[in-house]
Amino acid sequence: MIQHQFKYEWLQLFRERWVLALLVIFLGVMTYAVYNGNQKVNTRKAAIEKAKADMQKIDAKYAGQIDSISRGLSPAPERWLDPRSLSVYGQRAPRVVSMDAQPLAFIAVGQSDLFTHYVKPKLYGEAYALGFSELANPVQLLFGTFDLAFVCIYLLPLLIIAFSYNLLSQEKESGVFRLTMAQPISLYGWLFSRTVLRFIIIAIVLLVSLVIAMLVNGVLATAIANGFLIVYFFLLLYAFFWFLVSLLINLFGKSSGQNAVALVSVWVALVLLLPSIISQTANTLYPVPSRINMINEYRVAEAKAEKEAAKMLKTYYRDHPELAPKDSTENNQYSFWLEYFATIDVLKQAVSPILNEYDEAIAQQQTWVDKLGIFSPAIVLQSALNDQAGTAPAHYASYREQVIQFADTWKAYFMPRMFRNESMKPEDLPGLPQFEYEPKVHSTWVNNLTMLTAYVLITVLLSVVLFNFQKHEQMLTS
Amino acid sequence: MITLIAKKELKETFRDGRFRITAIIVFALLIASVFVSKSYYESINAQHEAARKNARNIWEGQGKKNPHSAAHYGTYAFKPKYPMALIDNGVDKYAGVSIYLEAHARNQAQYMAAQDQTALARFGDLTPDFILLFIIPLFIILNGFHAFTRERESGTLKLLQSQGVPGWKLALGKWLGLFIPVLLVVLPVYVLATLFLSNLNNYGEFSLAALTGLFVIYLVYYAVFTNLTLLVSSLFKKSSLAFVALLVLWMVACLATPKLSTNLAQKLYSYPTQLEFEEQIAQAKSSGLNGHEPWSDAAKKLEAETLKQYGVDSISQLPFNWDGFLMQKGDEHEAQIYFEHYDLLKKTNAKQSQVYQYTSALSPFLPTRFLSMALCRTDYSSHWAFADAAEKYRLLLVGKMNGDMVDNSKTGDWDYLADEKLWTSVPEFEYTPPTYASVLSENKGNISLLALWLMGTFALVIFQVNKMKVVS
Repeated sequence: MIQHQFKYEWLQLFRERWVLALLVIFLGVMTYAVYNGNQKVNTRKAAIEKAKADMQKIDAKYAGQIDSISRGLSPAPERWLDPRSLSVYGQRAPRVVSMDAQPLAFIAVGQSDLFTHYVKPKLYGEAYALGFSELANPVQLLFGTFDLAFVCIYLLPLLIIAFSYNLLSQEKESGVFRLTMAQPISLYGWLFSRTVLRFIIIAIVLLVSLVIAMLVNGVLATAIANGFLIVYFFLLLYAFFWFLVSLLINLFGKSSGQNAVALVSVWVALVLLLPSIISQTANTLYPVPSRINMINEYRVAEAKAEKEAAKMLKTYYRDHPELAPKDSTENNQYSFWLEYFATIDVLKQAVSPILNEYDEAIAQQQTWVDKLGIFSPAIVLQSALNDQAGTAPAHYASYREQVIQFADTWKAYFMPRMFRNESMKPEDLPGLPQFEYEPKVHSTWVNNLTMLTAYVLITVLLSVVLFNFQKHEQMLTS
Repeated sequence: MITLIAKKELKETFRDGRFRITAIIVFALLIASVFVSKSYYESINAQHEAARKNARNIWEGQGKKNPHSAAHYGTYAFKPKYPMALIDNGVDKYAGVSIYLEAHARNQAQYMAAQDQTALARFGDLTPDFILLFIIPLFIILNGFHAFTRERESGTLKLLQSQGVPGWKLALGKWLGLFIPVLLVVLPVYVLATLFLSNLNNYGEFSLAALTGLFVIYLVYYAVFTNLTLLVSSLFKKSSLAFVALLVLWMVACLATPKLSTNLAQKLYSYPTQLEFEEQIAQAKSSGLNGHEPWSDAAKKLEAETLKQYGVDSISQLPFNWDGFLMQKGDEHEAQIYFEHYDLLKKTNAKQSQVYQYTSALSPFLPTRFLSMALCRTDYSSHWAFADAAEKYRLLLVGKMNGDMVDNSKTGDWDYLADEKLWTSVPEFEYTPPTYASVLSENKGNISLLALWLMGTFALVIFQVNKMKVVS
């Protein structure tokens, strides 16, 4: 019987030209979306590679200079250009601290268009005050990218609605329903298997178009090796959820037109309205303190620190006796820098209340969004895809953290040496701190999977309940 | 006859429970969105106001300093918000709100709000423009997709035609029947918005003409969607198919085309990355005049020229402070470099805007989107206007600082200190946005595109409805 049904469904669907047209368009759309996402990833990779190559060029140049100066082959340049000076090296040859793209980055642009993916924290300046902005036309940020996440979150449900809004109503409207019901089968079982069959068709279409899209764009192998199946599973659950919504609406026994309107209303509510309402309330309830306040505080503290730098350095020596010069008559070539180093902690202390307030507000917003997000599968899928792509806000927060840490490491390399009034030697170069981005974010995939499964189970349950409460006569008559 | 058809349509619509519910929901969302964005803006505005005052206090209270050090220390320019930003937030979320002004460097606006929000922000915010641009067109489709198909399905279309109703009358009647309910939802919002915005404090001036212009633009946008709905409804035999087709149309116009155009524009004319841009500028600066490098070739050349001009042999004989003069000349040279590089960005942006104009053929959403942002002063051009004004102010500030050094101190006297008198003599940053006349003339293309959409779809509906009569 199932085989029979499957064949019948298949024939019925594909005899309609528009279904075929829709599927071909969907394949095209998918391919384009993967292309777009991949394009962005490639641009990002190229920019990082170029920055790293430039860094290596500077390193090579400085290494050559240091070598030839120390062997007396060439005269020492002016002090502010001499790479043997630790301050020149720390300031002029910063490391490229990059956030490398994750293998699945192409599936969701996420927050990646808002932030830069590499910074070069220098010896002078505070990494926590870095902007991390990428140069972009804000209109493009407003409209967003046509990526796989967009296609799956927004368009896939509409495709499913177009496929299934007349699951029951069409049978009734064409009069076939009575004939079917004359067969010895359960009404609910028949409807449910019909839903599942259509779902399987979409699942196959989805798989085939995803594979083709990734194959065309040359990312298939990396994707499969790096969790593509999980992504596909997410999409299946999301798709199945929408089929079940369709089944639910069909169970009310209304006409095809009414079903279509109802389904689109559900789509608007879950995909368009709910996310925007939750996001807006998060902003209103937990406003993030302006970063300008932080900068203002910083400037006040900085001005004060500058005035009292000499005094601060003395205090600093008291707290860090190991750094104090043994011979106080010796002139340290980095005296300006030492005063700056002595103020770093004071500056940090001045702005840290605002920084904390800021982090707290963001965390509160995220908690709010996480709490209310369970009401919309679109939000869950977005979070799941961003998580897999490594482009979620959490990834950028973690990267920012790692940058701040590395900036400290970079300073920590030079500071004690500068306090000891040392210079850069050829053998020091290989020992310079290096940065390696680690996606340290705790993946939320278990959570997302549970949530999407819950949606599916709840809608199934609802459909059973609805079916049993519905007067079957009403369903039978058209 | 037209009024008869319109009346019948309206009666049917108002009787429909679904219409009543959706109309109430749309109306409630619009009102809610105004209040939600108002409270959001108020908190943001209060913060900015505090930050602005704070920045000015820091500038004035910086104590005794060499004027050029003060120019290095710099201050901030803040982008003001205008009342109509409550209706359309435009790109504000994605463009920074403050620009750091300092000697030798033109900085970009920093700290965009979107960076400090959750990923949900990318779904869009519940602001009035979201409802006006996305939801109301859907509302029109929901109300009108069966305008003709229902008549066809129930057989009344033949009855109507047998009475000899001319096609255009039928079309116009249906049109009114579909458009009036939209008007009934939007008009009260317009009236409320007028009352509300004109009574706002601390939001800068409010222009009724601009709000009315905005209202008209949205009405034209809705008229286009009304036309499209009627057109599709008259093309299909079944209501459900007409609905699916309209849904696809809405999706293409409002969701897909903006994104597609963005990707196309970026592919064709891309911005450099932030660091690339900075490096290009640094590269250009490295060979030119720099106030802090008096030993450079460029500085030596300027020195020789100046000495010759004043007929003296050494800079100490010049009647002014050479160091300050060199600083000012260096700053002017660097400002020119910035101007050129930012101009490249502007040109790229102009080319990208051209792409949006082409793709507007696929979507009446795009011209409406751009016009709405422009009138609310939240579009990219407004941001540029602010950034340019801030740069002008930066040059004034830096010029005043260097000028004081040139006039009131001697060459080599780096211990010269200026005080509060000089800091307060710099006027506060005041920004006047471009006039609405220039906003409109800049958006001529979008206005004509929207007008084309209106007339084109009108013509198509009339043509189609007339043809429909002949065929059936």
